Amino acid sequence: MNAREMRRALAAADPVGRERLDGLDFEAMEADLLADVDGEREALEVEPARTRLVGRSRLALGIGVASVAALVVVFLILGGGSGEPTKAYNADLVRFAESTPLLLLEGPGWRVQDVTESRSREGTEGQMEFVTGKPIPYETLQITGNEAEGERVEGLAPAAVRQRRVELRWRPEAAESLAEVIANRREYIHPHGKHFVRLPVLDTTAFVDTRPEVFVNQGGPGDREMLALWSEAGYVLEMHAAVADLAGMEERLDWLTKVDSTTWLDAMPAKVVKAADHRAAVAGMLRGIPLPRTFAPSRVPDEGLTTNRYQVGANVAGTVACLWLRQWGEAQRTGDTAAAAEAVRAMATARHWPILREMSRDGAYPQVLWEIAAAMPQGYFGWDGHHRDLLAHAEGLGCARFGLPLVPAKMKHQRERGVPPPPD
Amino acid sequence: MAPGQVEMDALGQELAQVRFTKLYREQGRAILEYSLRRVEDPEDAADVVAETFLVAWRRLGEVPIGDGARLWLYGVARLVLANLARAERRRTRLGRRLAETLRTELTAQPAPQGEAAEVLRAIGLLGEEDRELLLLVTWEELSPSQAARVLGISALAARSRLHRARRRLRQALEERETEGGER
Repeated sequence: MNAREMRRALAAADPVGRERLDGLDFEAMEADLLADVDGEREALEVEPARTRLVGRSRLALGIGVASVAALVVVFLILGGGSGEPTKAYNADLVRFAESTPLLLLEGPGWRVQDVTESRSREGTEGQMEFVTGKPIPYETLQITGNEAEGERVEGLAPAAVRQRRVELRWRPEAAESLAEVIANRREYIHPHGKHFVRLPVLDTTAFVDTRPEVFVNQGGPGDREMLALWSEAGYVLEMHAAVADLAGMEERLDWLTKVDSTTWLDAMPAKVVKAADHRAAVAGMLRGIPLPRTFAPSRVPDEGLTTNRYQVGANVAGTVACLWLRQWGEAQRTGDTAAAAEAVRAMATARHWPILREMSRDGAYPQVLWEIAAAMPQGYFGWDGHHRDLLAHAEGLGCARFGLPLVPAKMKHQRERGVPPPPD
Repeated sequence: MAPGQVEMDALGQELAQVRFTKLYREQGRAILEYSLRRVEDPEDAADVVAETFLVAWRRLGEVPIGDGARLWLYGVARLVLANLARAERRRTRLGRRLAETLRTELTAQPAPQGEAAEVLRAIGLLGEEDRELLLLVTWEELSPSQAARVLGISALAARSRLHRARRRLRQALEERETEGGER
């Protein structure tokens, strides 16, 4: 028996007929495997990522939170003392700083350009923008093409500009787990094929999608968009960055640093409205706006979150507009023409509300509000030749969220939930 | 603490689960085939697969990335098989499900006949390590150096043992042929 004959005889003796196994659905058995793993989880629980708090321990921070209010009072009475001002933020500020992951990008010359947060059913989500060099405005992108042939994007800033910006986003894990986010990323396609790597970030490992773009003309040598995903303290974190290469992404991830709330608040730019200034900011934004009798500054939602002027402005202008629209709706239902006319007149001035003019540079909320105001005299919203109920359309301003629902169905829902009705 | 363990500690639980699921999807079948070739009862193979992947989960930080993962899993499955007889049997959910699937989906394999039966008998005469080496190279289609990694021996030792195993197997088969011819 020569070597070849023996190899053939051995192969023929293989007790496993591979085609017999072809019908087995291994994926269908994954749930059972994961259930087995779950049973083991207690013993397998990985250590939570250790956080590096700069300058003080968590315990000291906890005590600090309790005593900052007192500190602020002392600070005000003493006029701040002499020399370097004592850094003390009020308890509200510390609380909302701590509603973020307390991360900073500590790269040389990098700073925070903007921070926004919002509250969803599952928790707080937000994003921070870090830049170096001159401020970078948002790009106005135009997308052409179709999904089958690949979409093209126009209007991107040059790579040199985009590589000066890093975006950090966080969402509660309760909304979508890291595993689900990663599974979704794997579903995407890319003209050059998907490519994933792992890179260290903070005290954990990030899953990095090196080709997260959906547009066919993105990236190339020296210009790559990348997305890092990891989870920490109940958040799924995403870092988006345009980088020259993978090393650039690794460097930016390395710059991310966990800090304490004081350090984090120190890094906030002036344009980020701080909770302590909320009342003053609202008062300033109300200038030049005719107010209905039912308005009170306390009606403007103070979400206690780090929000920029755009978001506070939307809350201020939106609250006023919703109150006028409620008056208009009630007047329409009861036939009170004087009250209806008053509301129409007030809303007709919206084009000149200073806060809306300021906001119109950054987004479309003012435009939507102006279109609604313009439709009030005719009493309906014209949509592709159809007459749409104006109040239903105006709910898009966020009126129900402000506790000021416009349509009777939402008002009924509010009553049923036991929410006290607004003072009409 | 081993570097792999440190990495595992740092790895988020979800990330670990994603990696683990991928490992199972990519290698589950290879481990089942490996196990089926080495047990008589397919249900035992189901338990070996389930137990092997539980070990992989516990030691995910040590599982090599890439093709090394399969070799690592073979090494674990081999130890699980060795423990099969003496260990207290515990049936995991995957083990139960896989055993049931194998029972219903796989038609009964007829007992090997003729030359195949002779080859299997001759293989059974080899020493445990020589036999495993030969099977890894033949049925799992590994290179001698890959098989060496599974067994934790040097590539050089693997080549020399493989040579010895083949020689012994050939002798055993030729003796059998001769006996058959004389009969």
